[in-house]
Amino acid sequence: MYGWIWRHLPGNAWVRALLSIVLVLAVVYVLFQYVFPWAEPLLPFNDVTVDGQ
Amino acid sequence: MARARNRMAGMISVFGELLITAGLVLGLFVVYSLWWTNVLADRAADKDGAQVRDQWADQGPGALDTKDGIGFLHVPAMQNGEVLVKRGTGTDVLNHGVAGYYTDPIKSALPQDQQGNFTLAAHRDGHGAKFHNIHKLKTGDSIVFETKDTWYVYKVYKTLPETTKYNVDVLQPVPRESGRTKPGRYITLTTCTPVYTSDYRYIVWGELERAEKVDRDRTPPAELR
Repeated sequence: MYGWIWRHLPGNAWVRALLSIVLVLAVVYVLFQYVFPWAEPLLPFNDVTVDGQ
Repeated sequence: MARARNRMAGMISVFGELLITAGLVLGLFVVYSLWWTNVLADRAADKDGAQVRDQWADQGPGALDTKDGIGFLHVPAMQNGEVLVKRGTGTDVLNHGVAGYYTDPIKSALPQDQQGNFTLAAHRDGHGAKFHNIHKLKTGDSIVFETKDTWYVYKVYKTLPETTKYNVDVLQPVPRESGRTKPGRYITLTTCTPVYTSDYRYIVWGELERAEKVDRDRTPPAELR
């Protein structure tokens, strides 16, 4: 999977490395900005009130 | 034969990479919950807190605007500075690095009320983690609530390290489970426990010891010096 991505990135090794870093950062951004905020309330780690629900 | 084996190896390596990726994503989620939400929440709370202080400093006429918060909670034993207090205990409130007072299922009293229970909730971890150190509170420790013109000094008289989330009676105006049977001016802190999970709730009860007028320099009461 990662090998496949690497082979399909353009440019020489340095350009590919740089593009890989950009891709990783983009994925981390999407996770922190959209995926985790969505997932967090669905997980039972942070209910702090007594409400009987 | 060789080709089939190659395909097999390829599938296994993709599967392995997916597992590694899942591990990394879960690790990132921990970083997100325990660090990044704190960064965001503290930023929001600092901004709202400054707003509240600005409003207090403005001696303009009209009712006090409490949209950004009603005051600050100071708990020396928790060693976390001041905690802004807002209305409500929904995640929309608590996720911004503040403590909230209950409006539901049992409505909280406010500190200035002649009797009742001022009931608060805040996060144990993440989103500012304002009650992270709740276990450090012992009987006799002080909890100080600061409003525009009064310091309310409470003393802890009882802690309940573990109860269920269904135990809403801890919020009663007279919290009988704490051993008190007469109306008074109480404060109740609630958060989740054990740390990093929310299987149970941790409760701390305090009782008002005295109220001090805020002076010109906002000199804090002896408990905070």
